[in-house]
Amino acid sequence: MTAAVPRIRLGRVVYLGFITLVYVFLLMPLVIVVLASFNSGEFLTFPPEGFSLRWYVSFFDSESFMGSLFYSLKVAIVCTFFSTILGTTVALYVVRFSGRWREHLRLLILLPLLLPEILTAIALLFFYYNFDATMRALGLDMFVGLFRNSMVGLLIGHILITLPFVFLGISSSLYNFDMALEEAARSLGAGRFTTFRRVTLPIIKPGIIAGALLCFIISFDLFSISLLLKGIGVATLPIQLFDYVRWDYDPTAAAVATVSILITLMAIALTEKLVGLRSLRF
Amino acid sequence: MTTSTPAIEDARGQGTGSWLRDNRTLLLLLPTLGLFLAFLLFPYLNMIVMSFRNPSTSQVFAPGYTVFNYFDAIFDEDLYYLEILWDTMVFGVGTTFLCLIIGYPVAYHLARTKSRFQNLLYAFVLSPLLVGVVVRCYGWIIILANQDGLINSTLRKYGIIESFIPLMYNTFGVGLGLVHIFLPFMILPLLGAIQSIDPALEEASQSLGASRTKTMIRVVFPLSLPGVQAGTVLVFVLTISSYVIPILLGGLNVMIMSTLVVQQLLDAMLWPFGAALAFILSVTGGLAVYFYLKFTSHFMKGIA
Repeated sequence: MTAAVPRIRLGRVVYLGFITLVYVFLLMPLVIVVLASFNSGEFLTFPPEGFSLRWYVSFFDSESFMGSLFYSLKVAIVCTFFSTILGTTVALYVVRFSGRWREHLRLLILLPLLLPEILTAIALLFFYYNFDATMRALGLDMFVGLFRNSMVGLLIGHILITLPFVFLGISSSLYNFDMALEEAARSLGAGRFTTFRRVTLPIIKPGIIAGALLCFIISFDLFSISLLLKGIGVATLPIQLFDYVRWDYDPTAAAVATVSILITLMAIALTEKLVGLRSLRF
Repeated sequence: MTTSTPAIEDARGQGTGSWLRDNRTLLLLLPTLGLFLAFLLFPYLNMIVMSFRNPSTSQVFAPGYTVFNYFDAIFDEDLYYLEILWDTMVFGVGTTFLCLIIGYPVAYHLARTKSRFQNLLYAFVLSPLLVGVVVRCYGWIIILANQDGLINSTLRKYGIIESFIPLMYNTFGVGLGLVHIFLPFMILPLLGAIQSIDPALEEASQSLGASRTKTMIRVVFPLSLPGVQAGTVLVFVLTISSYVIPILLGGLNVMIMSTLVVQQLLDAMLWPFGAALAFILSVTGGLAVYFYLKFTSHFMKGIA
C-alpha cells in the first residue's frame, strides 16, 4: 500500500502536465500572432527582437485591408440583424405552433450546420450563375447579377450558415419556458402582443443576445462561403488575409489578425457580461 | 405547404375569418422557410443536376447530360482521384482519433475540476473555436514556416541545425493544423456528456475496490459514449470537408478532396466534374458516418 501512494501522485502530475500542454497548444497560435504583430523584425525569433507598431501603421495605411475590414463589419452586422429576426421568429413557430412538422422543420433549419460549408458555397455559386443565365434568357436583364455582383448573394450565404446557431439558442430557451407564465398574463387581461412583449420576450432575451453575438462572430470569420460568393473586386477580411498570407509572410498580416482576434474577444466578453458564456449553444 | 392549424388558436376560438387570419402564426415561419427552400434545397438539387452536365471547354458546362463525370473520376487509369479520396479519409480518421485521445482527458478535467478558474478554462477551449480559421492557420505558419518560421530560425540561431526541418507544406503541418482547429469540437460534446454522469457512480466504483484507471475504463468511458459519438462524427465530417487548413499548411504538396474540388471549379472551370467529385466525397463521407453510427450505437444500448 505504501508503495502505491507516490505512483498515484506521479500519475496525477503526468495527467495535469498533459492537460496544461494541451491548453498551451490550443492558445499558442493566437499568442504567437499577437507577439509577431508587435515584433519589430520581419520574422519572429526567440527571443523577440524588439517592440514596434510599424505593422499596425502598415495595416492602417493599407487600403485593401481597411476596406475589407469595414466590408466584413458591414456584412456581419447586416447578417446578424436578419439572422436574429428570422431565427427568433422561426424558433417561436417551430416550438409553439409546428405540431407534427416540428422534427422536419428542425432538421431543415439545422441543415446548414450538417452540410459542409464549402459544399453549400459551391451550390450557391452554381445557383447564382444559373439564375443569371435564366434571367438573360428571359430577357430580364435588370435581374442579371442580382446575387453575383452585390452584397446580397454573399449575405444570403452568411444568413444560411448563422441562422441555425440563433435558432438553437432561442429554441432551447423556449423549450425550458413555463407556459403558465403566459397563461397567467393572458388570464389577467393582457393581449397576445402585450403578453409576448412583456412576458415572453424578457425571458428569451438572453438566448437572443447570445445568438446574435455568436452570429456576428461566425459571420465575421466565415471563410468558404465568402471565398466563392464575394463579388468581383471586394473581399471580406478573412479572404484578404488568406490571399496575403499565401504569398507573403510580412507581419502586416499579424497586425490584421490581432485586430480580428480583438474584435472576436470583445464579442465574447460582451456575451459573458450580458448573458454568461454558457448560454452559447453549439 | 403546411396545413397544420395551430391548436392553440383553435382552442381560444380565434380561428375565424380568412385563411391567412386563421394561420397568422405561419407568418413567423414563411420568410425562413422560403429562404431555405430557395437558397438551400434548390441549389443542392441544382448541384446534383450540374454533376450530370456535359463538360465544355469554352463555357462552365455544355447542354445535355452525361454520367461520364462520375465515370471519369472513379475509373481513372492512375486511380488519381480515388487515391486523393483515400488520403482524405485517412486524414479524417487520423484527426478524429488524435482529437479523441488528446481531448478526452481535457474534457474530463474540465468537467470535474472544482478550480475557480473553471470558467476561464472553458473560455480557453471556446476562444480558439471562435477566432477565424485563417487567423489560427496563420499563427501556425509563423511558428512552422520552413525557412524563417519561429522554430527553424530559433534552432538555427543557436546552431542546433544548419538548414531547416520541413515542418510545413507536408502531411505533418496539415495534420497538426487539423488537430488544433478541430480539437474544441471534440472537447465540447465530451464535456457535456461527462458532466451529465453522476460523480456518485465513480465514487461507488472506487469504494467497491476498482482502481482509478478501471473506473475510467469500465464506468466513465462507457457512460460518456454519446459524447464520444457526437464529437468523433463532428470532427470527422469537418476534417474531410476542410479547405483552408490543407491549402495554407499543405500548399500544393498535400491534396485532399476539398482542395481538388475547388481547384476544378475555380482554376480549371470544370463545374460538372467538380460537382461530381464533391458528391463522391459527400456520399463516401455520409456512408462512413452511417456505418460508424450503426456500429457505435450497438455499444450504447441502455445509455440514455
